[in-house]
Amino acid sequence: MKKLSIKKIWKTITGDRQLLAGTIGLALLLLLAVAAAAVATENPYHYGKDMLVGLGENGHILGTNHMGQDIYSMIIYGIRTSLKVAVISALISGALGVFIGGIGGFFGGKVDTFISELINVFMMLPSFFLILLIIAMFGNSITNVMIVIGITTWPSNAKLMRAQALSLRERTFVKSAVAMGETKRQILFKYIIPNGIFPVIANTTMGMSNAILTEAGLSFLGLGDPGIISWGQMIYTGKQYITSAWWISAFAGAAIVVTVLVFYLLGDGLNHVLDPKYSRKRG
Amino acid sequence: MNKENHTPFVSVKDVAMWYPYHGKRQQKGEKDWIKAVDGVSIEIEHGEILGVIGESGCGKSTLGKILTRLENPTRGDCLIDGVSTKEMIKKDAKKFRSTVQIVFQNPFDTFTPRDTIEKILLRPLKNYSIGTDNEDRRRICIEALEAGGLRPAEDILKRFPHELSGGQLQRISIIRSMFLNPGFIVADEPVSMLDVSVRADIINMLIELSKSKDAAVMFISHDIALTRYISDNIAVMYLGRIVEYGSADEVVKSPMHPYTQALISNCASIDPEDKQETISIEGEPPTPLNPGPGCYFAPRCYMACEECYKRYPEPVVSETGHWAACARIGENGK
Amino acid sequence: MERLLTLENVNVSYVNKDKKVYAVKNAGFSINKGDSLGVVGESGSGKSTLAMALLRLHDESRTEITGKALFEGKNLLELTQEEMNALRWKDISVVFQKAMNSLSPVHRISEQVEDIYRVHEPHASKKEIEERMIYLLKLVNLPERVYRLYPHEMSGGMLQRTAIAVSLLHSPKLIIFDEATTALDVVTQGQILEEVVQMEQEISMTRIMITHDMSVVAASCNKVAVMYAGEFMEIGYVKDIFKNPMHPYTKGLLNSFPSLKGENETLHAIPGFLPDLSKPEPGCVFASRCPQASERCRREKPACQELKDGRQIACWLYQGGETHE
Repeated sequence: MKKLSIKKIWKTITGDRQLLAGTIGLALLLLLAVAAAAVATENPYHYGKDMLVGLGENGHILGTNHMGQDIYSMIIYGIRTSLKVAVISALISGALGVFIGGIGGFFGGKVDTFISELINVFMMLPSFFLILLIIAMFGNSITNVMIVIGITTWPSNAKLMRAQALSLRERTFVKSAVAMGETKRQILFKYIIPNGIFPVIANTTMGMSNAILTEAGLSFLGLGDPGIISWGQMIYTGKQYITSAWWISAFAGAAIVVTVLVFYLLGDGLNHVLDPKYSRKRG
Repeated sequence: MNKENHTPFVSVKDVAMWYPYHGKRQQKGEKDWIKAVDGVSIEIEHGEILGVIGESGCGKSTLGKILTRLENPTRGDCLIDGVSTKEMIKKDAKKFRSTVQIVFQNPFDTFTPRDTIEKILLRPLKNYSIGTDNEDRRRICIEALEAGGLRPAEDILKRFPHELSGGQLQRISIIRSMFLNPGFIVADEPVSMLDVSVRADIINMLIELSKSKDAAVMFISHDIALTRYISDNIAVMYLGRIVEYGSADEVVKSPMHPYTQALISNCASIDPEDKQETISIEGEPPTPLNPGPGCYFAPRCYMACEECYKRYPEPVVSETGHWAACARIGENGK
Repeated sequence: MERLLTLENVNVSYVNKDKKVYAVKNAGFSINKGDSLGVVGESGSGKSTLAMALLRLHDESRTEITGKALFEGKNLLELTQEEMNALRWKDISVVFQKAMNSLSPVHRISEQVEDIYRVHEPHASKKEIEERMIYLLKLVNLPERVYRLYPHEMSGGMLQRTAIAVSLLHSPKLIIFDEATTALDVVTQGQILEEVVQMEQEISMTRIMITHDMSVVAASCNKVAVMYAGEFMEIGYVKDIFKNPMHPYTKGLLNSFPSLKGENETLHAIPGFLPDLSKPEPGCVFASRCPQASERCRREKPACQELKDGRQIACWLYQGGETHE
């Protein structure tokens, strides 16, 4: 692998248009999330007197909802929720996938048979209904939502990692590590995972956009966390006013589309850059 | 040598490696086997270099992997100092790994591409608690690299494997093995992927190590001239079996087995005037799928007779210990 | 003797975004009809690059070629791809290292041969092609039935022989073997080389043998050209060069091969490694590894000189025709 230096990373990012767009998008989103208090014009949790005010009226750039909350500020604060859900659930899903898939592929034999079947079972489960079930049982806090998304999306990561481990196991450097007397645990963590993790990283980034969509979907169904502001919930509540106050749902929907697109571009760009076959084609 | 009460250092006893074959030829109730290695017995002493030669698919690499226990044989065992390696690896895997080391064919893939040479070399030192602290271990690495002709060592330690040449990587691979002070080294085609002009370095390094540390070396190769150069004794393998064994000079200069004769006569020489009579053999080595019952080489042998197809020939031993498994030895004037 | 191919000042370099790698520099040699020239060199010597450039099979967008390669009066390096297509396989053909990859796995040999044959002779009948191919198969010691087989039904040696036969379909004037026997076993390689040499006594052909193995050249060629880091070090007759190598690199290379039957002399490696081809040095490319290098070698590049026995050598030790050992 190439030595990682800031210069090289910069070159890689600017060399791939999708990756560049995704990175800029993510940077903007992060900036907005961190500086939400400064960027927002009002406290989105504040129920104001102006109810269902249209665009630009009374200083509400994007209007207000039926409770008098400022839509623009809600959208800005909603970035925090979406990013949190995306990152944490993807981390859970990625870590589980890498670990379980890595063990399966590297150890092989009965362990692998068991893990492959487990992956298949999880892949066949209709995960959205599983999520609904768990939320219904354990309550709809945002933490539960993140954990549930994480543990229902790991199988695709595990599949990728398993395939990587299967081929890495046959590489000379893994055999030579065995011959040098390194333990299986050392080999798994020092050789198999670091060398096979890149496709999983790309996949996980793509998975982040799915996580955002899932959270929005749950909120839309009324199963989101009522204590926080999320785009899904905005669409859900705006649904009833869609004819009279379309701005409540529409801008939240647009925000979801943009964020999902950013993560998708990022994931796809990473996929290009990290896939050795692709980089060879580009020279 | 007194065979009765002498325990050879490395002793391979009737080792076999069979893989089940799932092909269309399979009939009910019968199992087909690919016999990659099929009953190999051989001994190697301290400080001895044994060359194993044969064409691709003859099982020489599988044999090397069995001896280093990267694969477990279907049958047989390998003893080191009279102790079964099967038991050794169960009891104390680390001790076994430090006794038996392997040098791989592909130096470009021997090290993880993500780590620097420093990290790669420090790892076994830490695992085996060699050296007192990291500073001391670094010093050991630098000394070893410089002794191996890799200068400037400080610079090499900072490199990643892809920044070094095949010859350098192969030397580092041997140096890393030597940290553990192994008594037995399997070198599996260690120079076949290197440029000709740097091969001699690796070969001479192996010879030097075997002599100075009194280590036993198994040198696996398809290059007969090179094997003769490095080895004390040579074993010739064909379809998973050793067909001939003897001192390097004897095997190359007066081969007994028709297969060895064909192999050597077809070996291209760098002397353009050395146009020897080549012995042609039909076809190429088949897959070792249920070979036998007769001599495995019989279908391609230019002097095979009916007898050869009936049962596997017993080895014929000469006074010097040079032997070959052929039923017709002595009939072709050799 | 009639000249078939003459190279003058051929340079091939790969151009990347930020650097230029000089793969072949100043290549110049000529081949007469009926010659068999072995081009030997280690990895990075540019031997395969040169062959690809002659056949114009390189990636044109990333390669820069200058110089002349006159093949029967035509400069191969300046022909259009259409003109080149007319030459390839008819006048110049090539055998690659892995015949497996140059034959389609889903078609019988017969179908592929018919297609290839009809590229240049569109009206040839099946019968005609079959007769021609079977004659060629016999030349390379293969039975007739091979003509009806699929590639996967054959062993590596058979495939390589088939590839040689296919390359001979139109009796090319020049045939290039690019490491064609490298992947084969000792016995098969030995047999194929012998067959090729015998075959040449029957049909007239001119051959360039690209290889890293000196013994292949010794067994099958009459001339040898030694390449190092993109440049020709020594070119001459096999019988002269193998017996009396003059260039220090050739000497080093020959010393790196152990003898099969002779005395077991100590082998010597050539110390050091290949120079960075993207940063050309002013002196001789081999100077940094040469045991006999002087100050001059590092400063100035020696030109290729012709000696009395017809060999060409690029080394300061032999400048002006003097031969001091």
